[in-house]
Amino acid sequence: MLYFTVLGALICLVLISLGGGFWGAEKSIGHWTGNMFRGVCHQLPDRSFMFNDVQMAVNSRCFGIFSGLLSGWILIAAAVFLMNKKYPILWFLLLAVIIQIIDYSGNLFQLWENTNHSRAVLGWVLGLAASLAVFDQFQTDNKSTKL
Amino acid sequence: MNEEEIKQEENFSFNDYWPSVGIVGTIFSLISFVVGLFFGYQQINSEPTGSFFSPIMLSGVVVCLVTAVAGLLAVWHFTREVSPKLKLGQGAIIGFLTGAVIVVISVILNELWIMLIDPEYTQKIMDSTIANIEAMDMPDSAKDDMIDAMADSMETGQSFFRQIFWGIPVTGLLNLITGLLGVKFFAEKEETF
Repeated sequence: MLYFTVLGALICLVLISLGGGFWGAEKSIGHWTGNMFRGVCHQLPDRSFMFNDVQMAVNSRCFGIFSGLLSGWILIAAAVFLMNKKYPILWFLLLAVIIQIIDYSGNLFQLWENTNHSRAVLGWVLGLAASLAVFDQFQTDNKSTKL
Repeated sequence: MNEEEIKQEENFSFNDYWPSVGIVGTIFSLISFVVGLFFGYQQINSEPTGSFFSPIMLSGVVVCLVTAVAGLLAVWHFTREVSPKLKLGQGAIIGFLTGAVIVVISVILNELWIMLIDPEYTQKIMDSTIANIEAMDMPDSAKDDMIDAMADSMETGQSFFRQIFWGIPVTGLLNLITGLLGVKFFAEKEETF
């Protein structure tokens, strides 16, 4: 039940983050999709992807994180069958967080310049790792599932 | 611990959740409010640089990261103060409620600040941000689009209930996810749900 509720919520999150372009509007900022993410994203046009020629409701990194969360959550269904509890998924999450910090800091201090695509990919990895980190909570001791 | 006590621990009511949700939610909403004000006034008092890395942008990133961790810490608090045994779904509820509390209290604090302390705060932020956009190295049409978008955003999203209505689902969901991570990290034993 929890799995499918969160799955539905994450699908909605990703669809809404696509912004006004997905919902037939001409803009995202000022549209209800943009309003939903005002508190969690700077929504700078230069750092956001376009969807149907309209700026998305979130920037590229946030979109990467949200789509990564959804991808990871979908993969949980496979992971509970295929992965054992010793798989170093927490190290994967820690690594994803560290890479985010390094990427953000490097760009902030002008050591390099990241792009929308690099931000989205690194965000996706973080979201994926965050979702997958809880996959073993859906496993019982005898490897049956609790989905 | 007998069977009845264990069962009682597994079936928590909202009254069991509220101390953790309330304490952590309040602390994090205060942090996000103070951080937001700090960067807000830094933005107001800074010269327009034309850089995308303005204080207000940093504020958004910092506040987002800080508030997203609240679900994790609320679950940690719950496992320390109420019960170390927690189901995944219960962690999700704690996380979501913590996110909701953060949004509500942050919006109230912001409204109080604007009503009682600095009624011009929003306008000053807007003026400063517009000045920064105008100093950016980009075509005029792009600058106008950014300014229009920001003005639209300010106009449509400023009402008290709208901020809460739009804010709770996303902040709640992000904290729900970190609440799940909290169960993974801090709960003593996995339980079925």
